[in-house]
Amino acid sequence: MSPSSFIRVDGLHKNFGETPILRGVDLSIRKGEATFLIGRSGCGKSTFLRCLNGLESFDFGRIRVGQVDVRMGAGSRLNERQVRGLRNHFGMVFQSFNLFPHLTVLENAIKAPMVVKGLSRAEAEAIAVPLLEKVGLRDRLLSYPGQISGGQQQRAAIARALAMNPTVMLYDEPTSALDPFLVDEVFQVMRQLAAEGMTQVVVTHEHRFAREAADQVVFMEDGVVVESGSSEQIFSAPSDERTRQFVRRYG
Amino acid sequence: MRRSKWVVGIAVSLMVLGLFRPSRAEPVLRWGGDSEGGAPYVFRNPTHPDELIGFEVDLMNELARRLGMRAEFVQNQWDSLIPGLKRGDYDVVCNGLEITDDRKREVLFSEPYFLTYEQLTVRREEQAVQSLDSARGKVAGTVKYTLAERMLTAHGGIEVRGYDSQTAVYEDLAHARLDLVLLDHPIAVYYGAPDSRLKLVGRPIGDMAYGLAVRLDDAALQSKLNQALLQMRKEGKLREIYDRWGIWNLRMGEAFQDFAPSRPAVELKSYLAAMGKTRDWKQQAVQYWSFVPLLAQGAVTTLQLSAIGMMIAVSLGLLLALSRIYGNWWLSGLATVYIEAIRGTPLLIQLFFIFYGLPSLGVKLSPFVAAVIGLGLNYGAYEAEVYRAGFSSVPKSQMDAALSLGMNRLQALWHVIIPQATRVALPPMTNDFISLLKDSSLVSVITMVELTKVYGQLASTYYDYLGIGLLTAAMYFLIGLPFVRLSRSLEKRFTRGRHPVY
Repeated sequence: MSPSSFIRVDGLHKNFGETPILRGVDLSIRKGEATFLIGRSGCGKSTFLRCLNGLESFDFGRIRVGQVDVRMGAGSRLNERQVRGLRNHFGMVFQSFNLFPHLTVLENAIKAPMVVKGLSRAEAEAIAVPLLEKVGLRDRLLSYPGQISGGQQQRAAIARALAMNPTVMLYDEPTSALDPFLVDEVFQVMRQLAAEGMTQVVVTHEHRFAREAADQVVFMEDGVVVESGSSEQIFSAPSDERTRQFVRRYG
Repeated sequence: MRRSKWVVGIAVSLMVLGLFRPSRAEPVLRWGGDSEGGAPYVFRNPTHPDELIGFEVDLMNELARRLGMRAEFVQNQWDSLIPGLKRGDYDVVCNGLEITDDRKREVLFSEPYFLTYEQLTVRREEQAVQSLDSARGKVAGTVKYTLAERMLTAHGGIEVRGYDSQTAVYEDLAHARLDLVLLDHPIAVYYGAPDSRLKLVGRPIGDMAYGLAVRLDDAALQSKLNQALLQMRKEGKLREIYDRWGIWNLRMGEAFQDFAPSRPAVELKSYLAAMGKTRDWKQQAVQYWSFVPLLAQGAVTTLQLSAIGMMIAVSLGLLLALSRIYGNWWLSGLATVYIEAIRGTPLLIQLFFIFYGLPSLGVKLSPFVAAVIGLGLNYGAYEAEVYRAGFSSVPKSQMDAALSLGMNRLQALWHVIIPQATRVALPPMTNDFISLLKDSSLVSVITMVELTKVYGQLASTYYDYLGIGLLTAAMYFLIGLPFVRLSRSLEKRFTRGRHPVY
């Protein structure tokens, strides 16, 4: 693993039953960089993201992040310790926000720190409130998810993930469920995090944003990485024919 | 919210208090009977309904006294008296149990303490029916599973209707739904004769001997009881009891060679006086009021049974539902089989199985424990399905979110999934609890005296199924109410944030 890469994935394979979803994904991500995964729906980018933080197991391959090293081979299964190791590093933001509807915005953000880290309510709030303020929800702390807009919900979900102090943020199509005019407030938060040096991995179809914000763009198709490089390189001068076609049509 | 918390708190403390009963040092002779069987055996005193009286109560008190013991009555359904004896819930059965060869295989009988016969009763204007032979083609009523029923059936040519209680039989005879009633003479004296629309006719039919039943291995108690009975007979104490209750009869005279005229039947008179008294609405109200403490006692038992039963059902149901959803194939298969087996069989049979069946496998549970376990195991199956519906209403993505925040499955379930599932499961759960409250009346088959049983005792004593029925219904309603309110406020709590309040 080269010293500059913080996350390194080698030969990741994953099947759903007989259907191969990932067929050997190799990827390297440097600390503090924003990596954007693009590609057609079903190309495996969301599954790849879920493998990173152990929501999905994988069949073959190796994921290294920080000191955590998870290797899968014939017959091996993801164990609790490995899963915990991965999840300590990754915070995740979902397409449909997945806030806990029975809890207020504040409670959403303090629940995991209290339950998982055993913090007191006061300690958890001392962490969560500034994060919620940072994403612009200072006056929505006591609202329930059902009472706020989609953009606000997604920002709350980002703050909730940040409250666990992850080293990497994963975003699975974070703006796909949002009205177009709410998309930018979420991007704004992501830009701010990038500016603060947060490592981020984003699955998205918002190529305009990827072009602007990505340090690295990764184009996936049929469960493999076809091409990766700077956004300039991928969007303006792709070297692979498949990337070229995709970018011409959707870029 | 706060108020319903209080109400539940008080209810729970009452229940806990109710579980402790003072015990006395004096040796106790526990005897079983069914007070719903009515006068003159064991029944509620019409003027003091909190007291059980009857010639068998007098007899057992006297017998116990002579054995240096204190008699204690144990309530059980009449047709379960022998199973209860064998289980050891009491040591003697004294409740008009005829000595028959069938029963002799099951229990040891004392010498007969009372001899009697079957008595025909017809409507006052009836001329034709004087005997069973003259009753061919007629409709006869009697109580189920009695000698009278067997005699009527064996006689042939008579249509036989079996009733659960004698009050209804005579009432139906008076209303001409029946042409004749055949029942034990003491019953006819208390329920048929006092009714001016009816009359007792014909000669004594058959011979019946009531015996005290003890367990087959309890010959020592049998012989002690026999000695005491013989002594009571010699001292004229037996006859004195039967005279007071107005049931001394020809058969007894012949057997005891005692043909002296009977002394006044004071107990029969006071019974008839209490029953015949017409009351104005004020007296009626006072009488109903006097039932309230008794019904309240029954209600407390009902509440204990239901609340503890429901706690078992809730925990078991949760476990079953989780096994079905998250368990591996054999755990989820096991849960499914359990749920289907329990839902597919009647609660009554499950209760009988737990109470009377398990002892033969070496598991003997007290009536209360058997009752709450029976109710809990049964309702657990229903709760499981309610929770499963609740769980499947929570999107899978909620689990993903909780896991990705670092929670383990158990933490995710407890803090994220269950609170949301509860919101969906709460209304049907409340439904089930209310229904459990009423199903708990079934446990009277395993000697528990709860609200419905008290109602049955009172109603059969006073022939008042309407007034006491309404009173009992009100009791059920009242004890159910706090839980309905609690569930409403919980529902509100779990629904918080569901509706936008801009």
